[in-house]
Amino acid sequence: MKVITAYCNLRAGECLVNGEVVARRDTGSEDSWFKQIYKQHELAYPKFYKMDVLSQAGYLASELIKRANPGISEVYADDEIALVFANASSSAETDRRFIQSYQGGGSPSPSLFVYTLPNIVLGEIAILNKWYGENMFAVLPKFVPGFYLDYSRILLASGSRALLCGWLEVTAGSTDVFLFMVEEKEKGTEFNEENLLHLSQTGAVAAY
Amino acid sequence: MDSLKEDLKKQIIEQLNLEDLTVADIADDALLFNDQGLGLDSIDALELIVLLEKYHGIQLTNPEEGKEAFKSIDTMAAYIRKRKAA
Amino acid sequence: MIYIGAEVIVSPLGDTAEANWEALSVNRTGIALTPAVGFNKEDIHLSRIVGLGGPLRFQQLVIKALAGLKNRIDASILTSDRTMVLISSTKGALDDNLHDQFGETCSAVMQQFNLAHLPIVISNACISGVLALNVAGNMVGAGQYEHVIVIGCDVASDFVLYGFQSLFAVSDKACAPFDAARNGITLGEGCAAALVSGAKSVFKNTPLQLLSGTSANDANHISGPSRTGEGLVRSVSRTMQKHGIGAEEIDFICAHGTGTVFNDEMEAIAFDRLSLSEKPLNSLKGYFGHTLGAAGVIETAVCMQMMRNGMLIKSLGYRDAGTSQPLNIILENEPKKLRTILKTASGFGGGNASLMIRDL
Repeated sequence: MKVITAYCNLRAGECLVNGEVVARRDTGSEDSWFKQIYKQHELAYPKFYKMDVLSQAGYLASELIKRANPGISEVYADDEIALVFANASSSAETDRRFIQSYQGGGSPSPSLFVYTLPNIVLGEIAILNKWYGENMFAVLPKFVPGFYLDYSRILLASGSRALLCGWLEVTAGSTDVFLFMVEEKEKGTEFNEENLLHLSQTGAVAAY
Repeated sequence: MDSLKEDLKKQIIEQLNLEDLTVADIADDALLFNDQGLGLDSIDALELIVLLEKYHGIQLTNPEEGKEAFKSIDTMAAYIRKRKAA
Repeated sequence: MIYIGAEVIVSPLGDTAEANWEALSVNRTGIALTPAVGFNKEDIHLSRIVGLGGPLRFQQLVIKALAGLKNRIDASILTSDRTMVLISSTKGALDDNLHDQFGETCSAVMQQFNLAHLPIVISNACISGVLALNVAGNMVGAGQYEHVIVIGCDVASDFVLYGFQSLFAVSDKACAPFDAARNGITLGEGCAAALVSGAKSVFKNTPLQLLSGTSANDANHISGPSRTGEGLVRSVSRTMQKHGIGAEEIDFICAHGTGTVFNDEMEAIAFDRLSLSEKPLNSLKGYFGHTLGAAGVIETAVCMQMMRNGMLIKSLGYRDAGTSQPLNIILENEPKKLRTILKTASGFGGGNASLMIRDL
């Protein structure tokens, strides 16, 4: 059976792993919300500071999922974990910042430009973990469980043994991040439409 | 204290988003592109070209030229002084 | 069997696959020196579609390609709920709406063609097109949809040009993939479409067979190609394995070949590791420029034309060997029966993807 073995919800005010709050935003802090999580969880990856918001969100959520689910990397070969991510606004927030870098007298910033693609976050996660598996980034109007269910079925039937999936919507006004790990297990929270919708919305484990 | 070098360190931290570093962490002779130094990469090198123009009005049109100039804070400061004197 | 056909190409070289083929068969390029378009008002080589202007350029192209495709298939499948449309693109309608680069086009296409489902956008940098064709093949293979239409599209923009200029990655002449004197990419714009289906009868002209492939990440750098070609090697070898096809069966490779020093070198290393360096190979970037998210679909459509016309097309811009591992780059057009071809792509984010097309 395909099971959701760990998940992380990252919203404007709090960050949850497997339904438990692991960080709350300190609105009085000078640090960005993502930097607060990075520091609170004593993560050590200086490249984090160079990433755009999508990559920061993907990095944080995937690292927190790995901590809750230790040993993922050892269980699978380096090309057996596929990454399937999606969002609604592509890399619009970083695109806006890149445009700002060259409008009004400045020069286009190369380090912003390289993040003006939504799939860069997949590259960041692949680099950090040395994962050589399948990658896909889709742009959809909203979070639709069917998209992940359909494509996961294809990948799991063609060489991938586990999936790290994500909905990664980070704009100036909102943060809606939901990452989840899908693996083959005998029991657990079944990977189906109802559970996905539930976990994405409430951040609480389904009551059964 | 050489104020140009101190300014450069501040500018590098800001321009390259090296938020985990402070000016005191960067030695004048530390190798910027070495993992034992700052561990910068090829995109950072291009961002240093933007920095030179933005803060020092120096245009660098060939990235190869940057290779020598961007070795360390010492070499960057020397390069800026040379270009300004020319 | 999974079929692919009804290919359409809209580019500076023409509005149909046949018009593009005519231009390619006489080695005409869409690239021209365009005055004062650079960030510092430099003249830059670009491959732009004359007459494509105003707002909604992205949408215009996608609709034009889909309308062209519609004439080449049983049009009734367009409105079927067993049909899906995939759009591969990097920046979509960025110039029209920064904050929603695809939504408007997807809705407009759905409405105009009365589609049953909203199109899905696949945005994986420069591998988007090959990846979308693979997704289409997989969806049809798994029975999720009976027909999947893939449309690859990207339009030229200041945004992308200035970005590649900031990376010092824009060629100062028309790009010269795999050549010793190559020094960067030439940007292009264009759109291509093809139908992937399990039903041969829906194609007006005989289709070809799609052997959908796999993707693999380099796990190396977000904007620099791997020095070892690891991701490309893994993608191609898994694609060949998946279909039980050995190197001896591949007649031609349509490489990614962007014209940057590091990308082309990476590909040469990968093809050497795959024991494919002796296969006739070209890059089509010398004709179309780099059309980013559209490139994989445009170039696959050209491969299909090459197979239909039994002709290898020379790698425009190439003169002298310029990679550490030798490649068999096509120097002149040459008639040749092509049974099985390999198409590859690599891109930012470390992605690599490959697929194969086979003659029926």
